[in-house]
Amino acid sequence: MEPVDHNEQAQKLRHLLIVVLGLFAILFLRLFYLQVTTSADYERESEENRYARKRIKAHRGLILARDGQILASNAPFYTVAINRCSSQDFVAAVAALEEATGATITQKYNKKGPWPIHLKRDVDFRTVSIVEERLKDDWPLDILIQMKRAYPMNNLAAHLLGYMGEKSAEDVRRLNTKVYARGDYFGKTGIEKFYEDHLRGEDGIRVVEVDAKGRERRQISEHLQAARSGRDLHLTIDRRVQRRAEEALPDSLGGCVVALDPHSGAILALASKPTFDPNIFVSFQQQEERQHVLQRPDKPLLNRAISGTYPPGSTLKMVAAIAALETGISDTLSTFEACAGSLLVGETVFRCFKRDGHGELNLMQALEASCNIYFQHLAQIMSIEIWGDYAARFGFGQVTGIDMEPREEKGLLPSRQYYVETEGWTQGHLLNLVIGQGAILVTPMQMARYVAALGNGGYLVTPHLYKVPPSPQLIEGISPATLDIVKQAMRRVVYGDHGTGHRVQIAGIEVAGKSGTAQGPKEEDDAWFVAFAPYEEPTIAVAVVVEGGGGGGSVAGPIARQVIEAYFDIDSAKATAPPPDSSTELATYATAARN
Amino acid sequence: MRLLRETDFLLLGAALLTVLLGITMIYSATFYSENEALKAAWQRQSFFALIALLLILSIVFIPNKVLYGLAYPLYGLSLLTLLMVLVWGSGSGDLAARWLVVGPVRLQPSELAKITTIIALAHYLADYSRERINSLGVFLGALLIPLVPMALVVRQPDLGTAISFGAAFFPMLYWAGMRRLYIFFVISPLFSVVFAFEQFFQTPFLFAAFIIISAVVVHFLLAKLWITLTLLGVNLSAGLVTVYLWNSLLEYQKKRILILLDPDSDRLGDGWNIIQSKIAIGSGGLRGKGFLGGTQPELEFLPAAHTDFIFSVIGEELGFIGALVVLALFVFLIGRAFYIGSIVNSRFLSFVAIGLGSMLTFHVFVNIGMTIGVLPVTGLPLPFLSYGGSSLLANCIAIGLLMHIYTNRHEY
Repeated sequence: MEPVDHNEQAQKLRHLLIVVLGLFAILFLRLFYLQVTTSADYERESEENRYARKRIKAHRGLILARDGQILASNAPFYTVAINRCSSQDFVAAVAALEEATGATITQKYNKKGPWPIHLKRDVDFRTVSIVEERLKDDWPLDILIQMKRAYPMNNLAAHLLGYMGEKSAEDVRRLNTKVYARGDYFGKTGIEKFYEDHLRGEDGIRVVEVDAKGRERRQISEHLQAARSGRDLHLTIDRRVQRRAEEALPDSLGGCVVALDPHSGAILALASKPTFDPNIFVSFQQQEERQHVLQRPDKPLLNRAISGTYPPGSTLKMVAAIAALETGISDTLSTFEACAGSLLVGETVFRCFKRDGHGELNLMQALEASCNIYFQHLAQIMSIEIWGDYAARFGFGQVTGIDMEPREEKGLLPSRQYYVETEGWTQGHLLNLVIGQGAILVTPMQMARYVAALGNGGYLVTPHLYKVPPSPQLIEGISPATLDIVKQAMRRVVYGDHGTGHRVQIAGIEVAGKSGTAQGPKEEDDAWFVAFAPYEEPTIAVAVVVEGGGGGGSVAGPIARQVIEAYFDIDSAKATAPPPDSSTELATYATAARN
Repeated sequence: MRLLRETDFLLLGAALLTVLLGITMIYSATFYSENEALKAAWQRQSFFALIALLLILSIVFIPNKVLYGLAYPLYGLSLLTLLMVLVWGSGSGDLAARWLVVGPVRLQPSELAKITTIIALAHYLADYSRERINSLGVFLGALLIPLVPMALVVRQPDLGTAISFGAAFFPMLYWAGMRRLYIFFVISPLFSVVFAFEQFFQTPFLFAAFIIISAVVVHFLLAKLWITLTLLGVNLSAGLVTVYLWNSLLEYQKKRILILLDPDSDRLGDGWNIIQSKIAIGSGGLRGKGFLGGTQPELEFLPAAHTDFIFSVIGEELGFIGALVVLALFVFLIGRAFYIGSIVNSRFLSFVAIGLGSMLTFHVFVNIGMTIGVLPVTGLPLPFLSYGGSSLLANCIAIGLLMHIYTNRHEY
């Protein structure tokens, strides 16, 4: 390399520095112009910043019943808001508002907003007119029209719809999201939560020119980013069935009805008691009601259809019957030792609900009369693995996959392993399990799809309210002949001489079903009834449970009947009542209904 | 002791001061944000600054001549990473893919490539004597060195960064001894391209005036008709190329340039950034609104306040006085770089220093020019001040190199 000529370089350095200083002179002059010469203009512009970007709230999709009746919609309400101002103006404006309307404003000044600050939400027309006519000219007050969720049918289908909650500033910060802003409402449970994205839509942005008081002067139309409305949800719910189910369930007890289409799994009705009015969760006045509902010991918010778990009692006996028929442990003709009201196995006495015994019964008769002893004989020669296998095929111990929140309970289908790990295994546990007692726990939703499978020829459906699930799968290893025997027995429950479900008889519609009276930890037994109708080609399957209701046939049965009647549009009062029961027969039912 | 005496603490001090100012202003720009990640930006920048400091110190102690030997390999490596960006790069929107993501690290290879390109060009120029620099073949060879990375970056597409690769080219050639006439010959078509841009200047007279004046000046200086005619021809054809070049720009790039004319024509769209930045700086006035006192970023009127528009925050909160301090810091850093370039004995190191100083000049001018509305919006960060690890590391490497050159200024 040749050496550097420092003299020459000193000259070049000067030239380069002249260029650099020239460029910086441009920056200097421009900065001087902006920050000294015309600074006042920019100061004013910064103060005013005449343009504001505002959110356009997307219209939340409606929720509709099968017949188009609106179950959840949106209702406008008025909010008194205050636009960007100093804290002195804020205090003065709030005082003027309080004086003119008599309202108490608790909202505090916050320099960071978000502006406009909402002073009082959901105000009446009187307040609106006072603000519009008397206050607006002197104070930076404004009336905003906002939308909130409204449930026009109030309590109807409350658990299914769910309710909405407000996003706190904390939520929004944590989620780090642009989708929600502070104060936005979102689905907290039920359909509102499960289909939140579907219903919510997408907020838009509009740019407005605002005046010195922060009020909108005009919209800059070319910068409008329209909101995309949420999509409506047409549910499978049948409003008449839903209403009847809710009316039929007693108000004094916890209970639940699930009705579905046994072929598709479409939910026709989902009722849970006690219930609540979802409107109170979006109301700005009903804080007390909200607190009350949240704190009640009988848990009105609990969706018993998917979150309540119960022992199913005798409604589960069909599982053991099918397992016995399919594995050849029993057939339709064989009988065991006559039922004498109790059975001694080892050192344990198992009792039948009929103290003086059913006598000698075959499988069909045992299902019809709901004889425990017959099934406990079966359980002595069956393994828990076989029984558990068939129970699992009907979906017990698994979630049903219904499209709603909260996450459903799976219940408990105990295996031999379960008992080994808990109280120790003896065959006696199976003697309890086959009659739906012991450790087993099911949800009403599971029961509804179980009875649907019995009625529809052995297909396990996925219960759903909106989204069509994959087509039902045929349960393997159950022959049509077996299913037919069980179906016949279930018809005899309703129509047979010794049946426990006479109260479910409906004029003109053939019903099949099964009662259950489950002994839980509580004092009173839970009453169960599961049914499908019409017998030949069922179009509705129902599961009913009444917590502490007592007899399945006498308490849950009539509820199931009313639900089915509503579905077939039969007015039970006008229709010919089932054959009037003689007094002796009534006495029989009274006992029989215990199961 | 000797080592201490031979270290350029002035340069290091000025650079660190600027970085600290940057971290402070990043803190202020994101102070009112509700986004936790954004609020922690100043902490990440501080972390980058610590790494950068270690990097500076390690570069100072590189043995002399090693840099010379590594010049071409580093350049090749940079081209490879730029290629990788084109293939696997990820961008911040759907527009530009500028980053390479390696595990948790997100690198912007173009920032480092700017430096390696300067080193490679320095190596190339140092290999030729002053006489040979003025031959066409050597000139074209030199031209190729920044042109390859430029072409790769234009494809990303990142026009601002691409042009910055060329920023050091002419000063370095001038430093190498290229005749001013030749430089003018090469640069004047570039000016012609700009001046012939009728959509922007809205008059053809600027172009005409430029051509005529340059021709008259050249003719007066050299008095050779054929040279003057050639210059005229070259400039005229350059002006014709303008239309083609303009059409090859992407839509958003065109808008960014045209909006400069009249930001108010699209106040809320493309003009938004420029207007809000001008409002921020202008409203700062002489003394500024005070630290954390700026309302523009607080109300989210000013986008990218902590990155590309950090100077707007400085202008708003620290005022004209604060802005002048920043300008003074940069003038010192640039002047120091050129000064170092003029006192070293090694031609290679001298070129590197001039190249780094020129690059710094370009970045500062383009970024600040953007925030005050005299140059179009490009994605170029303000050295040492803008938030961003790659840019900070690259600029600190430059400082490290300048200190390395200063320490070795007596070597040949």
